[in-house]
Amino acid sequence: MARHNLGTVVSFEVTRTLTKRGFWIATLIVPVIIGIVIGLVALSNSATDSSLDSQKNEKFSFSYSDESGYVDPAVVASFGGTKAASRQEAIAAVKAGVLDAYFDYGSDPTKQPTEVYGVDRGIFNNGKYASAATRLLVASAEARVGDPKLAALLQGNLPIDLTAIGPDGNIASGIGSVIPPLIFLVIFYIVFLLLGNQMLNSPLEEKENRVAEMILTTLNPTTLIVGKVISLFIIGVVQALVFAAPIIIGYLFFRTALNIPNFDLPVLVFEPGQMAVGALLLIGGFALFTGTLFAAGAIMPTVKDASLIFGILMVLIFVQLYAATLIVSNPQAFIVQVFTYFPYSAPVTAMLRNGFGSLHPIESTIVIVELFALSAIVLRLAVRLFRFGSIEYTKRVSLGRLLPPKQGN
Amino acid sequence: MPVTHEPLVHIDHFRMDFGRTTVVRDLSFDINRGETFGLLGSNGSGKTTTIRALLGIYEPTGGTLRINGRAFRPEDGERLGYLPEERGLYKKESVIDVMTYFGRLKGLAKHDAVTWSLGYLERVALRDKAKLRVDKLSGGEQQKVQLGVTIMNHPELLILDEPTKGFDPVNRRLLMDIIDEQKEAGATVLMVTHQMDEVERLCDRVVLLKDGEAEAYGTISEVQRKYGGTLIRLSYSGTVPTSSRYDISLKETNYAELTVLDNSDDAVILKELVDAGLLVSGFVTSKLSLEDIFVRVYGAQNDVVGVG
Repeated sequence: MARHNLGTVVSFEVTRTLTKRGFWIATLIVPVIIGIVIGLVALSNSATDSSLDSQKNEKFSFSYSDESGYVDPAVVASFGGTKAASRQEAIAAVKAGVLDAYFDYGSDPTKQPTEVYGVDRGIFNNGKYASAATRLLVASAEARVGDPKLAALLQGNLPIDLTAIGPDGNIASGIGSVIPPLIFLVIFYIVFLLLGNQMLNSPLEEKENRVAEMILTTLNPTTLIVGKVISLFIIGVVQALVFAAPIIIGYLFFRTALNIPNFDLPVLVFEPGQMAVGALLLIGGFALFTGTLFAAGAIMPTVKDASLIFGILMVLIFVQLYAATLIVSNPQAFIVQVFTYFPYSAPVTAMLRNGFGSLHPIESTIVIVELFALSAIVLRLAVRLFRFGSIEYTKRVSLGRLLPPKQGN
Repeated sequence: MPVTHEPLVHIDHFRMDFGRTTVVRDLSFDINRGETFGLLGSNGSGKTTTIRALLGIYEPTGGTLRINGRAFRPEDGERLGYLPEERGLYKKESVIDVMTYFGRLKGLAKHDAVTWSLGYLERVALRDKAKLRVDKLSGGEQQKVQLGVTIMNHPELLILDEPTKGFDPVNRRLLMDIIDEQKEAGATVLMVTHQMDEVERLCDRVVLLKDGEAEAYGTISEVQRKYGGTLIRLSYSGTVPTSSRYDISLKETNYAELTVLDNSDDAVILKELVDAGLLVSGFVTSKLSLEDIFVRVYGAQNDVVGVG
């Protein structure tokens, strides 16, 4: 059923926010900072690549001692090195600047650290000495094995294609099936980080501006609250697009410069059941937290008073991250069960478990029903609180005033 | 609001409790179409609560509150002008945006709301400030904008809660002009005020609330008659006798004020005083003003003025 004046409220709320200079300054500062960081990263990567290339091609004089016998003199010769007459002389030559580097391999290089002495070329360039000492030993070992494939096997650099089969005989999709449902969790966090404060402040605005009474004679409080929620959602979408713009642009046009891995999108598996559960958990959690923030805004006289409740809700959203490992690895643990069913921790915990496939259908049903039922109660309470709280301009609304009248009109 | 033949506002046995506190016990009155009606009472007597319940902001505990024959709904706000006691506007928006928003909420098309607002701002010398943020306006200028928002939809019912509260003399004059204009245009006006001179000048009928009930209800003359209608200022020597024809409302040394009861004859009272041996040196009669009645009704309470 169409709500009287809902469109007018949404239009006013969205327009006045999007036409504020302050909104765009606050919104654009994020992508600008991201853009600057991306630029610096690209610049740095470019400089690093150049540096690595130059180091790779750079020749320097070195000598070595080898008690282990693993170092192949032929390999050393191909690197341009020579055997040192003595450790002391070689170190003295390095100190004098006559020799660039000296490597001293012990009797067991796998246990004893190889000592490397080199002329100081700065913190970034000094790494080439250790790198050369290691490459010398690896190349000598490969030469002794005599088979490049066998050498690769020994180094363990092997491509593996894992196929995991579940109890039902179906092939598990691995990380590809975990990522899509976790997108809902990311959206949940983004929404509350970006909009949580506005959700709290929004109902306080009518109170602080003393316009609630005039507003309530032209539309009912449910319409106002629904209008504000829709407006916040639209504003959130605009902000998200602005924030995402530099990331999308960076991925599409500057992937190489930024060293962004080429993510294999087809590997993602969108399992309908998991996605549906994730979406319902997101909607239920959004409704519950929005209703709670609106109720808090309606009951408190000022933003300062209401911010305490906002802080508590933020803690409830983030505290589970400290137990994320436990939630993923041991979903039946007592604390995980508490997080799963306590309404204000349920959205994050359940979405996390849903992503990793440890949320049983019965559990997800209970949590979804719980979130939607409680959301309906809290939103109704928020409307009632707004009806009374919005015209209590200087004090908290008494819960006694929320009692239903003894007799209807 | 659909037009019916019953009074525009009908309140019948209205009761309002907040938890265990009863603010309005049992209140009934009607407001006829086209009349200006005064809702009077002391602090906490339930005037603002009655208006809020009438406008659906509060759910009444009991009784019936009707405008045009039915309980108020937000849709009816399109024919209502309401100036609440607690006033305000969206402070960080421009004047024209705020006026347009309220115009839209009251059912005006955007173009009509803008056109009317600019015309009104021209009238009150604020046209050049239409695009300024509301909080850049002075308090008096904001009051003018608030008045414009109240009447921009040409209301059928104008409810003014403490309309002159905080208004400077210029805006008070503007308000009075606006009330007169709205009355001429056929609007029904419901006023809550403590300015008894305004009530006497503007109101056709009044209701006095006390202890959550109607202490008096009717035309101003009817209310004056209920409380005697005539006041005798008496200068004398001796002792003023008690009588069923008057109440001694004030007694000082050699001076007293007597409120005449039951329309008793002044001459009969004078004769009675003289016959009782009182040396009367002054005997002046005057009509009891609404303010006299207000003080008499609420004088015993500590909080004589205010709202409830």
